[in-house]
Amino acid sequence: MPNPIVITNNIRKLRFFANEMTQQELAEKAGASRQTIIAIEAGKYSPSLELAFCIADAFGVSITEVFSHEVKE
Amino acid sequence: MSYQEKKTLASITSGALLLAAYCLYAFNPARTPADLKAWATTMLVFIAIGIGATIIIQIVFHILFSIGVAIQQKIQNNDCDDKDIEKNIKLEMVEDERDRMIEMKSNQVGFAVAGFGFVVALLSLVFNYSPVVMLNILFITFSFGSICEGIYQFLLYRRGYSHA
Repeated sequence: MPNPIVITNNIRKLRFFANEMTQQELAEKAGASRQTIIAIEAGKYSPSLELAFCIADAFGVSITEVFSHEVKE
Repeated sequence: MSYQEKKTLASITSGALLLAAYCLYAFNPARTPADLKAWATTMLVFIAIGIGATIIIQIVFHILFSIGVAIQQKIQNNDCDDKDIEKNIKLEMVEDERDRMIEMKSNQVGFAVAGFGFVVALLSLVFNYSPVVMLNILFITFSFGSICEGIYQFLLYRRGYSHA
């Protein structure tokens, strides 16, 4: 069985560099609820690939700039 | 606490109230019906009451939630108009993939508890208990399953949910 993967994100940093975009604004742009954005930002929810791409599009960056992964040993 | 969490709590409350009311009725020797037909009628009445109570509780919850959001909005910004308030209420109630995923996960718990209850109900017949006992086990475990589903849903909202 492969080792578990920990997914981290830079959403807080990206929001800061996007003129301190609010979680609500990001939620509206990505087509999700504010609660979901809060959960993703806190690492409490891993979004689907579709939502991950929508979040990346909202910032105008590639998905790898928003999300990264780490394999647990 | 988010809209979804509060909605789940409202649903747990209505389920718990129904189960409590049924248990008070069913385990009271002075009022319990004797034959199978009377039990079936009682359960149908309780199911109807449960559906009605759930709808009423959800409506009351939506009204109170909307009032709460409006008051909060007015406190934060006294100049906001009705359209802003309406927009905020709608935004708070948005459902997305996370909600659907959590609902699916919690449904599994509900079905597992109900399935376990069904097996126990069948076993009660195998061990020569009356069909009344079987009916009661079914009704109580199905109701309990619905409460467990709500509790698990609430936990997933609080704790977070990962695909791993």
